[in-house]
Amino acid sequence: MNLRRIFLAPAWVMTAIFLVLPLFVVLAYSFLTRGAYGGLQLPWTTESYQRLVDPLYLSILGRSFLLAAVVTLVSLLVAYPLALFISRSGRRKMLWLNLVMLPFFTSLLVRTYAWVFLLRDTGLFNTVLLSVGLIQEPLPLLYNDGAVVLGLVYSYLPFMVLPIFANLERIDPNLLEAAADLGESPLWALWRVLAPLSRPGIVAGSVLVFIPSLGSYLTPDLLGGGKSVWVGNVIQNQFTNARDWPFGAALGVCLMLLVLGLMRLWQSKGGGELG
Amino acid sequence: MTGTRRTFFLGLAGLAGCTRDSRPRLNVYNWSDYIAPETITRFQQQTGSRIHYANYESNEELLSKVFSGNSGWDVIFPSHYFLQPLQQNGLLLPLQAGRLPLLPNLTAEMRSPSWDPSLDWCVPYMLGAAGIVHQRSVKVTDPSWDLLWNEALRGKVTMLDDPGDTIGAALLKLGFPLNTGDASALQQAKQALIAQKQMLRAYLNSETRQGLVGGDIQASHLWATVALLAMDESEELSFYYPREGYARYADCAVVLKESRHPELAHEFLNFLLQPEVAAANAEAALATTTNQEARRVLPVELRDSLALFPDAVTLSRGQWFEPLPPDVQRLRDRIWTEVKAH
Amino acid sequence: MSAPISKTLRTSAGLIFAFLYLPLAALIAFSVNQSSSTVWAGFSMRWYQELWSDPQILSATANSLLIAATSTVLATIIGTLAAYGLWKRQSRLLVSTVYLSLVTPEIVMGVALLAFYQAVFRYLDVQLGMHTVILAHISFCFAYVVLVVLARLRNMDASLEEAALDLGATEWQAFYRVTLPCIAPAVAAGALLAFSTSLDDYVITSLVAGVDSETLPMVIYAKARRAISPSINALCAIIVVAVGSLVLLSQRLQRS
Repeated sequence: MNLRRIFLAPAWVMTAIFLVLPLFVVLAYSFLTRGAYGGLQLPWTTESYQRLVDPLYLSILGRSFLLAAVVTLVSLLVAYPLALFISRSGRRKMLWLNLVMLPFFTSLLVRTYAWVFLLRDTGLFNTVLLSVGLIQEPLPLLYNDGAVVLGLVYSYLPFMVLPIFANLERIDPNLLEAAADLGESPLWALWRVLAPLSRPGIVAGSVLVFIPSLGSYLTPDLLGGGKSVWVGNVIQNQFTNARDWPFGAALGVCLMLLVLGLMRLWQSKGGGELG
Repeated sequence: MTGTRRTFFLGLAGLAGCTRDSRPRLNVYNWSDYIAPETITRFQQQTGSRIHYANYESNEELLSKVFSGNSGWDVIFPSHYFLQPLQQNGLLLPLQAGRLPLLPNLTAEMRSPSWDPSLDWCVPYMLGAAGIVHQRSVKVTDPSWDLLWNEALRGKVTMLDDPGDTIGAALLKLGFPLNTGDASALQQAKQALIAQKQMLRAYLNSETRQGLVGGDIQASHLWATVALLAMDESEELSFYYPREGYARYADCAVVLKESRHPELAHEFLNFLLQPEVAAANAEAALATTTNQEARRVLPVELRDSLALFPDAVTLSRGQWFEPLPPDVQRLRDRIWTEVKAH
Repeated sequence: MSAPISKTLRTSAGLIFAFLYLPLAALIAFSVNQSSSTVWAGFSMRWYQELWSDPQILSATANSLLIAATSTVLATIIGTLAAYGLWKRQSRLLVSTVYLSLVTPEIVMGVALLAFYQAVFRYLDVQLGMHTVILAHISFCFAYVVLVVLARLRNMDASLEEAALDLGATEWQAFYRVTLPCIAPAVAAGALLAFSTSLDDYVITSLVAGVDSETLPMVIYAKARRAISPSINALCAIIVVAVGSLVLLSQRLQRS
């Protein structure tokens, strides 16, 4: 009996039953009709998808896209210097890497709540600013898009740092020396030489940050004060408040297709070998 | 220290003993902070059974869990306007009045509520309502919903993060009935909420307590129970029900049809109707008890609280939530999404 | 050989590290604050005592640990075996499905599993409970194990196994005696990743949890939403310190 087949069998079973099948169930649900008091019933219909093609939901999708892009850009600006620092740290590289990864291992919920603790009206930032007299009243730092972006950047930063770091490690140091010899400022060397060479890492990191940000639900929920509506929030709303499972399923399918499309795009441009 | 150590071992034993304990176990799913801890321990001692108690935060969360018909829960406490969906989907066990001799302890209104006139399905547990809580420094001459739209309080007002309550508030402010399905009324409510969103601090439920107590939030749309909790912590707060009307709800105890211990469930419901038990629960929950005998033994601050037991005039302005037909539900949900996404 | 680190780079890196650790440090610091506000009022362990005497927290912790431990063991086994199988010969379909599990947004995954369980429960007399949560956790955790172990396998020298086979070992012995010890650090890393992912999960767990399966993240979320006492800071601090120690410990073990 082929050992390889036996080894792969459990994985096949898990993915077939607990991944593929549930997604198909969702797909099926998106074509059903909402029951009178929630739940599902026949007939089969494309009504949920028709309702999707609506400025309201498309704008929410678009906004989630835009904000996820902002998160990605900010992550890039924050992560690049860090990755650069680590790649030049000689023997201490592993130490710094581990320090970057460590917060990631603690719960997303804990890390998001930590920002609630810092940013709210009675939170640490406001208390400090008030006590030194810089402000007279608390600043509304929490419950807006900015807080959500901050929370997401914080949560997914390691995903941006690691691929860029891995990429920087593979760049021939001679190229950098040559650039330094030729060029004017270090910034020039960075912009004209380093950045293009680390493009694969940048793209990989961007994908790894963009996709979870797009589908995020908890962070907008806790940091947005109900005012920041992302696709994930709308989907969750359909399965709870609105009790409109077919519509929620259709939204979910839409989000999945978007994400898969992005992955496909990335793979076709040469990236995507995560192994 | 023995107390905490005992609780620790009880907790562990409770978990470990799940499969080995031979006592019947009742699974009770309730709102958080809605029961006195002694109620559970006393019932367990009195009947020699065990209660597994857990909490949920919203009716929708509850419904999604029990919808499949084999969630494992025995007794749940949905709000009254959720009884119809539960019953229509065959999820409820009809109650046997013979097993509930203490039913007469309920107030006259609760012995024959509009949503279940002969109490075939539920035993009303606690009443609730949402009103407006504000800092005393904010002078209110006219008790109206308009306070929450007052430009002078820009950035210091919160509304409930609940479509039923918040859309309801806008409808009432504009003079429409709470449960209206009229499209134009709902659109106007939407416009009012969108206009309000610019000056709103956030849509918050219980989290707004901190801001109120700290003095940073000037006015909030809040449930009476949470408002009372905030008022416990700060002398500067005051609560009222707006004159245009306010939304009322009743959380009712029901037994699920899937329950494996229907007699024990009935016993529990009857136990909750005992005056001392109901009073203890009301005190722990800071909610309006449906039990008139219990009200007599409540501490004075609760018994005479106008937030929990409004006077007849105010009470007449309260409107019960009603279950809505699917197309109205859909319109409201869309409006809620539009307001949130604006 | 490394390029020099300029002053600006060093300061930027320092600021970013501070950014990374400030929120967690603040939580830990204020979990031992006497008062419930963010004004320092003296050292106190009262919030930890409050946690200790709350049976709900204790049972949620026990649940979380049980679920995480079971899911990790099974996910690591399934994932390691799958990675090995994929290394021997590529299977585009399986790799794509593994990717799928990684990129599916949590809310979609949670909703899909809930819908799936409900559809299945129409025909089987099963309920939502520990088992439904554990199965769900295994399904999204094992992909991480596959990733980590496969990466390590690809960097490994395949001739080691070939040599073993040439010397007369069976396929199983070659795997068990030669390859597995070689990839052991990666398996451990994958297991750690799976463990922390399972311990941390809120969205999927809250949707498919049953009567007995309240977990720590669900408790934290409820506490954060109800904003009652700073005991949530203490809870978070415990989690940070516990998971942090676990990670550091595994790094130590891997190096030795």
